[in-house]
Amino acid sequence: MGNILLKEMKLSASGLSYVFVLFGLMFLLPGYPVLCGAFFTTLGIYQSFQNARETNDIMFSALLPIAKKDVVKGKYLFVCFIEMCSILLMMAAVLLRMTVLVDSPIYRNNALMNANGFALGLAFVIYGLFNAIFVGGFFKTIYKIGRPFIVFIIVNFAVIGTGEALHHFPGLSGLNAFGTEQFWLQTGLMTSGIITYVVLTYRSFKQSCFRFERIDL
Amino acid sequence: MSIVEIKNLNKGYPAFNLKEVSFGINEGEITGFIGRNGAGKTTAIKSMLNLIHPDSGDIRYFGKPLAENETEIKKSIGYSTGSIAWYPRKTIKDIVEVVKKFYDTWDDDAYIRYLKMFGLDENKKALELSEGMKVKCNLLLALSHNAKVLILDEPTSGLDPFSRDELLELFIRLKKEGVAFFFSTHIISDIEKCADNIVYISKGEIISELPKEEFIQRFSEKGESLEDAILRMEREASNG
Repeated sequence: MGNILLKEMKLSASGLSYVFVLFGLMFLLPGYPVLCGAFFTTLGIYQSFQNARETNDIMFSALLPIAKKDVVKGKYLFVCFIEMCSILLMMAAVLLRMTVLVDSPIYRNNALMNANGFALGLAFVIYGLFNAIFVGGFFKTIYKIGRPFIVFIIVNFAVIGTGEALHHFPGLSGLNAFGTEQFWLQTGLMTSGIITYVVLTYRSFKQSCFRFERIDL
Repeated sequence: MSIVEIKNLNKGYPAFNLKEVSFGINEGEITGFIGRNGAGKTTAIKSMLNLIHPDSGDIRYFGKPLAENETEIKKSIGYSTGSIAWYPRKTIKDIVEVVKKFYDTWDDDAYIRYLKMFGLDENKKALELSEGMKVKCNLLLALSHNAKVLILDEPTSGLDPFSRDELLELFIRLKKEGVAFFFSTHIISDIEKCADNIVYISKGEIISELPKEEFIQRFSEKGESLEDAILRMEREASNG
């Protein structure tokens, strides 16, 4: 498992995938739709898939002494690794905004979504959707990447738009909580996001293994 | 002794069928796989590597079926194609550093030895390599993990006559070290130069599998060269 991840990181990955992890820090930006940070991270991962396609990476991997499902596993491990790196930065930003910077006027007077547990949960949902729609879509053909990414972009911005709008509805202001306000609600929403991520990624992985086994390279 | 056995391989496409393909690869010998473009050489080779799924047939390496022993078998074989460059912007060294971790049989001394033998610079990027060097790079990877069988798809296509000759000499040299070669080509003079056995495929069917001398004796008429004999047979096949 370690070897195939190493192969992904050293040979297949685009440098942009690593640089775009830093967009996780957009969770610190006031007056900006913070979930766009998650989208930019997926854009970096997309570059790696494009790179993989152009360098005959899948064929190379399939010739290594590993099972075909391990080729799929390598891609998913890499994607999850990049996503978790970005989530760590987002978590650090959320912790800062929820503690040291909790009373900062630039965050308090922010019309857009606050970077809190709900936002983190939605970031997990966006990554889960990326894995299901884009990565799963890639393994239908192993060369068509444009269409699944466009579908993902549409779904992604629908999620971001919904997330940004929800807390303005009466009775849903708790979604935009600061500090330790609405702690259990926020924790519950984040946990729901994590569960969604795990379920979507696992189902997508299983489906991709099934599809890849049937592809003629 | 056959170390690779292909029996009754079938693969159907809308416009092409591989039909009951059977042949073998002998230990320490060079087997040339000839046929015109589109005859089914690459389809057969990809089936042998489990890159495509045959509709039916049996593929065995060292007596073991490929389907159930793919990981183990792939540790003992190497593959190269003249037309594909892996990771053009990575150096040979970068690629080797990763690939060696997949093989418990990787031999660093052999790697250094073949690097020198092939005249390769490990700090060169794949895109800086000539077509011949790319094939040698794939041979380097395969031989450094002690591959016993090298399967090469059109390794001499696109090479100038000097590079082709150099590569074929290399095959003969490595054969003496016990490596079995199976290489496809549509350049018949390459087969004449170095093959011990010839497998001839036309329109998805194996026409003949024989030792080279026997093949020439059987199919060459009135002192025809091997190339002339194959061309005549192809023409006859086209005319029905």
